[in-house]
Amino acid sequence: MQRRGWWVAVVLALALGLSLAVGPVLAADEFKIGVITSLSGDLATGGNVTKRGYDLWGKAVNAQGGIQIKGKKYPVRLIYGDDQSQPAQAASAAERLAVQEKVDVVLGPYASGMTLAAAPVLEKYKIPMITGSAESPLIWRQKFRYTFGTIPPVNFTGSAVIKTLAALPGGPKSAVIYGTNDAFSKATAEAFQTTAEQVGIKVLKFNILPPKQDLTPLMSAAKVLNPDLIAFGGHDEELINLVKVLTQLDFTPKALLMHYGVTEPAFIQALGKNANQVLGASVWTGSMQTKGALGWPTAKAYADAAVAEYPKDPADYTQAACSAAGLVFQAALVQLAAAPPLDEAARTKLVEILEKIDLQTFYGRVKFATEGDYYHSNAGLTPLTVQILDGKERVVAPAESAQTKLSYPMTPWNKR
Amino acid sequence: MLALLPQAIIDGVLLGGIYLTVAMGFSLAFGVLHIIDFAVGEWIMLGAFIGLIFTKWLGVDALLSLPVVFVIFAVVGWLLQPLLHRVLSGSRGRPVLMGLVFTFGLALAFRGSALTVFGIFTHSLDTVLSQGSWHLDWGPFFLTVPLIRLAGLVYALAVILGFNYLLKRTDFGLAVRAVAQNKEAAGLMGVDVNRTSAAVYGLYVGISAMTGVFIGAIVSLNAGMGPDLSIFAFFVVVLAGMGYLAGVPWAAFLLGLIQSFFLIYFNPSHVLLALFSILYLILLISPTGMFRKGV
Repeated sequence: MQRRGWWVAVVLALALGLSLAVGPVLAADEFKIGVITSLSGDLATGGNVTKRGYDLWGKAVNAQGGIQIKGKKYPVRLIYGDDQSQPAQAASAAERLAVQEKVDVVLGPYASGMTLAAAPVLEKYKIPMITGSAESPLIWRQKFRYTFGTIPPVNFTGSAVIKTLAALPGGPKSAVIYGTNDAFSKATAEAFQTTAEQVGIKVLKFNILPPKQDLTPLMSAAKVLNPDLIAFGGHDEELINLVKVLTQLDFTPKALLMHYGVTEPAFIQALGKNANQVLGASVWTGSMQTKGALGWPTAKAYADAAVAEYPKDPADYTQAACSAAGLVFQAALVQLAAAPPLDEAARTKLVEILEKIDLQTFYGRVKFATEGDYYHSNAGLTPLTVQILDGKERVVAPAESAQTKLSYPMTPWNKR
Repeated sequence: MLALLPQAIIDGVLLGGIYLTVAMGFSLAFGVLHIIDFAVGEWIMLGAFIGLIFTKWLGVDALLSLPVVFVIFAVVGWLLQPLLHRVLSGSRGRPVLMGLVFTFGLALAFRGSALTVFGIFTHSLDTVLSQGSWHLDWGPFFLTVPLIRLAGLVYALAVILGFNYLLKRTDFGLAVRAVAQNKEAAGLMGVDVNRTSAAVYGLYVGISAMTGVFIGAIVSLNAGMGPDLSIFAFFVVVLAGMGYLAGVPWAAFLLGLIQSFFLIYFNPSHVLLALFSILYLILLISPTGMFRKGV
């Protein structure tokens, strides 16, 4: 009995210590920025790319003392909620950030499925969220009032690449299109399919697959159909597996198109010379000519800052869009001019400001659509077609942003 | 599409080969040690990463790392087994459940550590066989056999034959089978139960780690690859009959063939639905596995 009493005392003392430790933080003058993203699970690779983007912004703001509101600077504190690459966990992370952490705003998940799960929760608590990554058009069709995104939906970016290919002299005439069954990948594949049919590329086969399927049987079947173009909507690991399967089957289509993942450094590192000539879609590269009114002055300045912080991994468009999401909140909070913590009325006012914001950043222009199918997604950008050439990501279209010419058709795997 | 028939069969068999490599160690661990090891996917993942480090460090072919990976992990397994034994025995009840919880914990710890140490990215193991394939043509029929997948199948079959020889023809195998049947009785007959168990666990971990090198070369590797592999290993073993080692190859090939045929001839979107419906039906009719020889 005596021993139990001793334990109760220890627990009480710990609880008291903990509450004292937490106490001063509650009273501190800072903006609490919740971040929901995939830090573990299948999508941890991309989730950590978003984390880098958000952290880089947080660090840059705090290096200047914070966000200036009525003459006083308030630093930002990023509070993470790991969605474990599962929608249900994204919803509970949102709930925790809203109820326990009482965050002022939220920077959103890496993947669309998780964004779709977190958005209704934040809608309930009236907390504005900007996702710097999610790209499924499904998000914007829901017309969430409190959810915004800095990357245009994938049906907008993905269709541009197909159009680029169709415009090539002797370009592809037939295609086999597959996508993985998650919100983003499915939307990517559907965008490829719709656009291909519009521009007169014959779609020989189109299917949505369960995640992480072995692709050998499918690509064996594709080899028989011998399409000019193979397009695949998926994430990094699946894209790497696809290229490996094609090399194992010794089948080289004239063009191989993926979307996100091609621009991740891991893709090139894992595949080496076989990554060359693979096509992807993007909205930003470090070589773009942009001028930032807030934060980093140019795309190059951002790319350099990113490499200084994370030397192994050059920034891709998702990372840039995440940092830009932070900048947009920063600009909106300055306009709101309300000191933290933000109450419900202030957060609703912040949404009105976000709807009107038109910001030039290192990432390009951010201007959220306020009606239609792209409601609250970024309508300020032009989609880019990128290709891996000599182990580097290069912009090949549109002409005004192109760094080099698109290489077509692909060199057979066994002649590389 | 009939022209694709030989290809569908060979794709299925080669895919079955991958499942076989994943499942055979798992089945051995259950059959002999009565452990449902949910860390099998993580042993495979760690093996793949050690293979990757070795390959990059020495700049050699990934398949040359196989013996090194085997030795390292066999030793790790050998050293870990007494710990596992402590969890499974003693005064606590429900040893199978305790083993499950322990290996589940191991899996979480390994995955978390791998994420921290090796990072988040997906990698690929390079071997001279990565890119080659054999092409065969007979009139309207044709076949492409990727060499690395064929190597995976050969490896799987070699290990199965090796196991078979070890268990049926050697004194060590006799001891292993005795331990599997009845630990106390085996001990009374002069079998060193602890040493035999540690050797089996070491063998299982070493083989699983070598499997990792093949998986990394055939598809890819990352710190989060384990759980899917563990689940597939579990399905194969359940289908074969828990603890019935001889059933494992047939179950693995059946799963591979179902998957391959469905992907080629039916709607690929429903491949997992088909796979698990068939699995469910088989277990409904025969709960002790395809051959009614499991436990």
